[in-house]
Amino acid sequence: MMKTTTSKLAVLGIALVVVLVILPLIFSGKLYYMGVLTTAMALSIAAAGVWLTFYIGRINIGQGAFALIGGYACAILIMKAEMSFWIAMPLAGVFSAIIGVLIGYPILRLRGVYFAMITLSLTETARLSAQSLSSLTGGAKGIINIPLPGALEIFGFTLIPDFSTIDSHLAFYYLAAVLLIATYAAMYRLVNSRIGWLFRSLQQNEDLASSIGVNIAMLRVIAFAISSFLAGIGGAFFVAVQQSVYPNTFQVQDSVYFMLYCFLGGLGYVFGPIVGTFVLFLSFEGLQGLNEYQPLVYSVLMIALMLWLPNGLLSLGEGRRDKAARSAASAKDANVADSDAKAKG
Amino acid sequence: MSILEVRQLTKRFGGLAAVNEVSFNVEAGEILSIIGPNGAGKSTLFKLISSFLRATSGEVIYEGENIVSKAPHIVARKGVVRTFQETTIFKEMTALDNVVIAHHLRSRASLAGFYWASRTAKEDEAQFRESAEEILNYLGIGHVGNEIARNLPHGYLRALGMAIGLAAQPKLLLFDEPFAGMNHEETQQAVKQVYGIRDRGLTVLLVEHDMPAVMKISDRIVVLNFGQKIAEGTPTEIQDNEQVIEAYLGREDEEIGL
Amino acid sequence: MTEQVIVNGIYSGVQYALIALGLTLIFALMNVLNFAHGQMYVLGAFVTYYVYGVLGLPFWLALVATALTLGIVGVLFEKFLFRPVLRRSSREESSMLLAAGTALLLESLILIVFGEKHRGVPSVVSGVIKIGDAYLPMGRLLVIVLSAILIGGFILFMQYTKPGRALRALAQDREAAQLQGVDVGTYSMIGFAMGAMLAGMAGAMLVAISGVNSGLGTWISIKAFIMVMIGGAGVVSGAIVGGLILGMIESIGYQMLPGGETYLFIFIGLIIFLAIRPHGLMGKPWG
Ligand SMILES: Nc1ncnc2c1ncn2[C@@H]1O[C@H](COP(=O)(O)OP(=O)(O)OP(=O)(O)O)[C@@H](O)[C@H]1O
Ligand SMILES: [Mg+2]
Repeated sequence: MMKTTTSKLAVLGIALVVVLVILPLIFSGKLYYMGVLTTAMALSIAAAGVWLTFYIGRINIGQGAFALIGGYACAILIMKAEMSFWIAMPLAGVFSAIIGVLIGYPILRLRGVYFAMITLSLTETARLSAQSLSSLTGGAKGIINIPLPGALEIFGFTLIPDFSTIDSHLAFYYLAAVLLIATYAAMYRLVNSRIGWLFRSLQQNEDLASSIGVNIAMLRVIAFAISSFLAGIGGAFFVAVQQSVYPNTFQVQDSVYFMLYCFLGGLGYVFGPIVGTFVLFLSFEGLQGLNEYQPLVYSVLMIALMLWLPNGLLSLGEGRRDKAARSAASAKDANVADSDAKAKG
Repeated sequence: MSILEVRQLTKRFGGLAAVNEVSFNVEAGEILSIIGPNGAGKSTLFKLISSFLRATSGEVIYEGENIVSKAPHIVARKGVVRTFQETTIFKEMTALDNVVIAHHLRSRASLAGFYWASRTAKEDEAQFRESAEEILNYLGIGHVGNEIARNLPHGYLRALGMAIGLAAQPKLLLFDEPFAGMNHEETQQAVKQVYGIRDRGLTVLLVEHDMPAVMKISDRIVVLNFGQKIAEGTPTEIQDNEQVIEAYLGREDEEIGL
Repeated sequence: MTEQVIVNGIYSGVQYALIALGLTLIFALMNVLNFAHGQMYVLGAFVTYYVYGVLGLPFWLALVATALTLGIVGVLFEKFLFRPVLRRSSREESSMLLAAGTALLLESLILIVFGEKHRGVPSVVSGVIKIGDAYLPMGRLLVIVLSAILIGGFILFMQYTKPGRALRALAQDREAAQLQGVDVGTYSMIGFAMGAMLAGMAGAMLVAISGVNSGLGTWISIKAFIMVMIGGAGVVSGAIVGGLILGMIESIGYQMLPGGETYLFIFIGLIIFLAIRPHGLMGKPWG
């Protein structure tokens, strides 16, 4: 027990050093690579939300919608309300979460393919809304020239300098890293707390959960609101990096990708979405040399991965432990049979 | 005193009245069985009482309060808990965790308390674990507490379903066909367990097809046919009731006719 | 004016019904939501484009080639992708994600083989007829007639032939069908192939009217999902009704609203509708 905790901590420490020190050192100045890593981290944040909806037993293909809502909310707050990015981004997350609650409450009653289909339609609805509400969103032309994040000052003390005065790529990288770490720390805590148990009870049997007094409607909405919040934050961050947002910034494809990231990382593991997002997003970028064959090779790889590892990439590490657990369990089975025989005899 | 009063309860599915103006009372501390041919509306009646279905009309008065068509988790929190006809459990959890989580409605901590693992939440957790072990032992399945539920054999699953129901600490427990698929010996055992549950101070409402078991276990019986109550009384009264005999015989004729 | 709207609605509606029918068939048989449905439709359109438009062979031959191609795609997908995954995992996520993967695969294949240009073919028939105040080009009439024949044929096949009955048994209860001696593997394959064919045939007809491009697939899938949500997943009558309703609403919307707003209203209406009727007009609870 002690040993696993220490080894976990060691892994965590190494990961932190790699993310916060080594990667920036290797890639500083290489704008393309910094950009790819930063984007992968932002996508991982939104993917964490999709994972959580999977965790309560819903297939969510609407994350693109909430990322788009967050992106627009952030852009509009900065451009029209002249707010600081540091206020606009959290507000964008909150705004996405509120929309998530309003839409989630009715549609979370749906299950299975119905929920999947309606969330997919949601992504398209968000895009069409962005196009139609042109007085607010600029229609198809989008919102462009969004300024870089300004300085964050508290009591006259500069916590974060104005991004335009420093290496903004590195600054965005660190911001993404901090957000990513905070997101997954909170998710880890959530899943390993009693709330995680309640979520798992929803995933496994909603009727039974409500028969023992679990307020399933409320928990579903909470999970969906967290998911939408993370999408909003991810979307707002992405828009800040791009300094622009269009109705196509997040579309159906993106929603589908979020879902695939979670699945291929492993639906049973909190850190599945990070692994899935990084592996898939980086390999997609890595295949760029293939030009028009890139999507083909990518999709073949993805299908192969699904056939080979139906429980996701992280189940690879599980292999040995699983076998050990299984043999322990079968030993126990034997014991059960034994005691049964005794009880009968 | 009546713990539960069902008044003129009706449920229609389209044109079909699955439960039709059914009224009866359940006295505190009794074992009341509901019997009737297949499709008579027994399961539907259960779902109405536990609020898993919305009633078309009528009332369910529990401890003086109308609970009809409230959310199921609210009804559960008041003390009316159902078990399921199928062996419905949390498949991917261990048997013990199934029962621990079933203590949920006794939890004093808030969701925030759960998240931060507040002291109350931790105390609750420890207490629930203890109580869960006690319940599993009581039902004779304590030794499989650490098995993943989906791997358990059928008899154990049924006991686990019962354990989940008990863990929710109901005052009124609804069992849908608890003896289905059991052999004589197992039924004897299960009947004893139901007695035990009643002796813990619970009121038990039971749907069951196994007539010998029903006659043995019930204080009173309500008979449904085509959604309507056709009889109510003690086991001996029911056995002699002509309408009941007809309902069951009529059903058999039909089956022969097929 | 209104007559034109109705004629347009019927024209789109029957095609949509054809698309939804294939989607619902695959869902009913295998509990798989076929994300690649729109891509199958686009593939069908391109096969017809190639056989009829490029090679200059007769249109009916192009239709046959389309049906064959899509049938083969369906068989391959079922046998080598869905069957192994469904056998191994009962979680519906797995099959759904696999379906999303196959959609990407098909789309990138189509892009490589047929390019990204919008392609059209010469009209199959010419002339226009007038119904009341509405104009109906003969090409569209042909589409309506062919779609209606395919839908009718499909229903008759399901009702009155032995394989049709086997498919229905399979859709109703997989295990019971197996016990009754239905060869579940073969019929799943046949059903998947038929679903793919229906999508392909709808695409084949589209190319003769308004042409096709490789990017259409996702949007067609979304439309198919809408129809199935309206009618209820896995129900034949629901697919047909859903298709006709969507065609009609779309036609009315395009008459009254500018561009994309029709679908904005359709989506909002759909969410409200599903909040009231979670499994559509004719669906069974949870498919
Ligand atoms: N959700 C539903 N929608 C439509 N009809 C239903 C529904 N649930 C039950 N019914 C119908 O209501 C009637 C009563 O069903 P119910 O399940 O209550 O019978 P039961 O007495 O429990 O039968 P059994 O002894 O077979 O369990 C049946 O005719 C059934 O087909
Ligand atoms: Mg029943």
